[in-house]
Amino acid sequence: MSDTGTADAVVDATPSDAVASAPAADERLAYRSIFQRLFIRPEIGAVIGVVGVWTFFWAVSLNFGTTGQTQNWLDITATLGIMAVAVSMLMIGGEFDLSSGANTGAMGILFILLIKEVGELGGLGLSIWIAVPLSFVAAMGIGWANGVMVERTALPSFIVTLATFFILRGLKLGLSKLLTGQISVTFTDESHGYGFWQPVFAGEWQRNDHIWNSRDVVYIGFLVLGAAIITLAVCEMHFVRRDKLAASGLPIFGAGVAGVAAAIFLMHTTDGVSANILAAAVLGISILVGLYGFSTWRFEPQAAAGGLNLDGSIMPPLLGGLIGVGLASVASFAIDSDNAETLFFPFTVQGLRVVLMMILAGGGFTLLMVAGNKALKQNMTTKLVVSSLTAAALVGFAFVIRQSAEATKFRTELFSVLLFVALALFVWSVLGVRFAERRKIDEAADRTGMKAMVLGLALMITAVVLRHLFVVQAELDAGVNPAKFSVRMLWFFAFTAVMVWILARTRFGSWTFAVGGNAQAARQVGVPAARTKTQLFMIVSGAAWLVGMLLAFRLSSLQAGAGDGEEFEYIIAAVVGGTMLTGGYGTALGAAFGAAIMAMSLVGIQSARWNTDWRWVFLGVILLLAVIANRFIRDRAEGARR
Amino acid sequence: MKNMRWLAMLLALVMVAAACSGSDSSEATTDGGDSTEAESTEGGDEVVEAAQAGDLTFHMITHSDDGPFWSVVKRGMDAACSDLGVNCVWAPGVNDANQMVQDIEGALGEGSNGIAASLPDPAALVPALQGAVNGGTPVVTLNSGANDYQEIGALTHVGQTEFIAGQAAGERFNAAGVGHVLCGQQEQNNVGLTERCDGLADTFSGTVTTDFMDLDADTSAQQAAINAAMAADDSIDGFLGVGPVITMSGLRAADDLGRDVTIGGFDLTPELLGAINDGDILFTVDQQQYLQGYLPILQLYMFQTNSNVIGGGLPILTGPGFVTADNAADVLALSEAGTR
Repeated sequence: MSDTGTADAVVDATPSDAVASAPAADERLAYRSIFQRLFIRPEIGAVIGVVGVWTFFWAVSLNFGTTGQTQNWLDITATLGIMAVAVSMLMIGGEFDLSSGANTGAMGILFILLIKEVGELGGLGLSIWIAVPLSFVAAMGIGWANGVMVERTALPSFIVTLATFFILRGLKLGLSKLLTGQISVTFTDESHGYGFWQPVFAGEWQRNDHIWNSRDVVYIGFLVLGAAIITLAVCEMHFVRRDKLAASGLPIFGAGVAGVAAAIFLMHTTDGVSANILAAAVLGISILVGLYGFSTWRFEPQAAAGGLNLDGSIMPPLLGGLIGVGLASVASFAIDSDNAETLFFPFTVQGLRVVLMMILAGGGFTLLMVAGNKALKQNMTTKLVVSSLTAAALVGFAFVIRQSAEATKFRTELFSVLLFVALALFVWSVLGVRFAERRKIDEAADRTGMKAMVLGLALMITAVVLRHLFVVQAELDAGVNPAKFSVRMLWFFAFTAVMVWILARTRFGSWTFAVGGNAQAARQVGVPAARTKTQLFMIVSGAAWLVGMLLAFRLSSLQAGAGDGEEFEYIIAAVVGGTMLTGGYGTALGAAFGAAIMAMSLVGIQSARWNTDWRWVFLGVILLLAVIANRFIRDRAEGARR
Repeated sequence: MKNMRWLAMLLALVMVAAACSGSDSSEATTDGGDSTEAESTEGGDEVVEAAQAGDLTFHMITHSDDGPFWSVVKRGMDAACSDLGVNCVWAPGVNDANQMVQDIEGALGEGSNGIAASLPDPAALVPALQGAVNGGTPVVTLNSGANDYQEIGALTHVGQTEFIAGQAAGERFNAAGVGHVLCGQQEQNNVGLTERCDGLADTFSGTVTTDFMDLDADTSAQQAAINAAMAADDSIDGFLGVGPVITMSGLRAADDLGRDVTIGGFDLTPELLGAINDGDILFTVDQQQYLQGYLPILQLYMFQTNSNVIGGGLPILTGPGFVTADNAADVLALSEAGTR
């Protein structure tokens, strides 16, 4: 990760009101709002991509969102992601490793040959306790050799590692056939140390064996709590904190919290539409009241919200947007939802209806967002009016979808999400009218906000993880598919966390960015460029070793061709995740998300039962969109820093 | 200095390229005794007199050397050559038709007494083999080439027709009472693999869904793709993998889903045979490729020594043979010996 997330500067010397209020003229301390800061993080493109691709496949396929298929795409993400993260670090350091794919298989095969029984053809019959560190040493050696060769010869790493790739590929095939007479090598569970190492590299969590009937209560509780904490954190980072807290807000806050709790309880315990509508209304009002109370307690009131001013810059997009959403609704009702005819390949009437609705509604809401941005330039009252109209349009459209969609996930889940977005929009602009937006740095508030945000995220992630790890009796009775969560995913999460930490927090991480940005300049300021790059190659090779172990224990056997050609997938995942091909810019976390995007598209296309011939088209479009989006984000990040 | 660097880079590229191509084309090994100088290349149209076995040299030129498959073909060829007492040259390839053309021309230059060649890319190879036939060198096609051997004027074709193999697999699924078979492919755009699925669809009485899953190089993704495809359609109760690796991936995917799926496969690996022996997989289609190495040499020998042509102009099918739980143990033993 680059340092874009910390305080950078807007140095457009024109003292806009944002900068004018800052007492110190140091441009590096200029204030940027929380949303601006979020938006220029290099991994934001990949995060949006993950959400977008997930939502897309969730919408078009029957069971993409189920635990079984989540497990399925996470499983691919694990091995792909470990390599993508390592490769992205090497790419940030300005080099490529084309041998990384073949290396994964090579490490697995080497390991198997080391432990295979002596009795039959080939194999050294070593204990796994010796073979694991021994193969790791070999991996370090390959990485070191790659690094030294690239440094000594000053050849492009593309060429050097291409040679390594061929050598490894040949060795895999040659040695397998020479030693075992076959192109796949196999070992059995009789090897010494198997009992210990098998769970380490291939342990599995059988979801259907873990019944926890109160899971959903914990799930909803954690989810709501996490969301609430994140909301409060965003407020904390957005508004001006009072010098003296106004206790009068606390009772209102308490009332809101109680209302939210009551509404959720009501929703969870009752069935039926009218009860749910009542609960939803209580929930919405409670959220508004609670946030209002919290803000009254904590934040400065708005000095002057200003009067309503819908001028010429706002009216056209506002009206256009409302008309667009209206037309989308008309289209939804005008075209018969039972008509299954095909107009002309590949468009059916239903397809046309959906596309028409998407375009009209998408365009409409985009225009409404434009209107909202223009209104923000006027004053908060105008913004409130525009936001309320947008929220109303969202609610209306949510009901249209509910009316016209067959599937439950659209009728209830998408419907609820749209209502929540509308509520958020409305509440946020109400708060904006009543409380003063912060326009200068407040480090204490940002620190508190950041901590709260991390806590909230952790709670929400825990909620989702618990939901996927445990099963309730009702699901079992309904015959839910079994799902095995493998320890591979834990390795992936741990590896990613360590690499993200190294890149963001250590000297080695800074050196990586330095040598990738400009190796010559880095050398001149005393960065040991050669050593850094060699260590990066060793990290990639170490990751290949880890993946090799995971592959070997997964099947207890490996093909000689395992991993060949995968190196490009790693590079693609890193690029989708926001890493530049030219080095010096990128993110390890983004590469992990990039791997997830690729895994989701593989599983998603199967889940949607599309012909897989289209998979490459899909991946191509994703890659193109990702690169363009990352370029845009990068330009903004640099523009903000300039 | 800068020039030097470019020179070095160029050198490296050339070396890499040489390493790639060199390793295959020069690998041709001579089996048996000295290769004899050719006498029979002139006037090949009329058979002058029966050739002496020890004087004969046959070339087997194939498009691949990878994997357990072709090593069995080579063992078949070796056995035929030592049984008949002729000299044989094994020239494996790497799916490169150009290089195969060079190998064919090289064989003719050495005065080959007969060429057995696989035909993965007819457009490139048919002219070269026609040239051989016109020059009086007998040709037999093997493995792939069932549609083109007559155009070449080859004596016969020895191999398995993929479509017929798929049809036979379809009959097996019918007998097992399966309703919907997923036919999983491990390569995109491979005509042979597609024909296997097409043959299945031809005879199978239920529904067939054909799709590319993922490459054998990434078995995790392969398994996940099959898992997703099966989960997306509850009616799928059969799986045909058109290669041994993808068949095993299909078995694991079905296990993960806890689904009762009837599984069939193609070709043999010890793993796959073990699963058949355990009853997890119903059958695998065996094209008995040992015969694809043995029979072409036998045919060339019979033609050169006795002007015999086997098969009456029709292709000689080496498959589909089937391995099921009944014979898996025997085949496993033979497979370990390297002849199945």
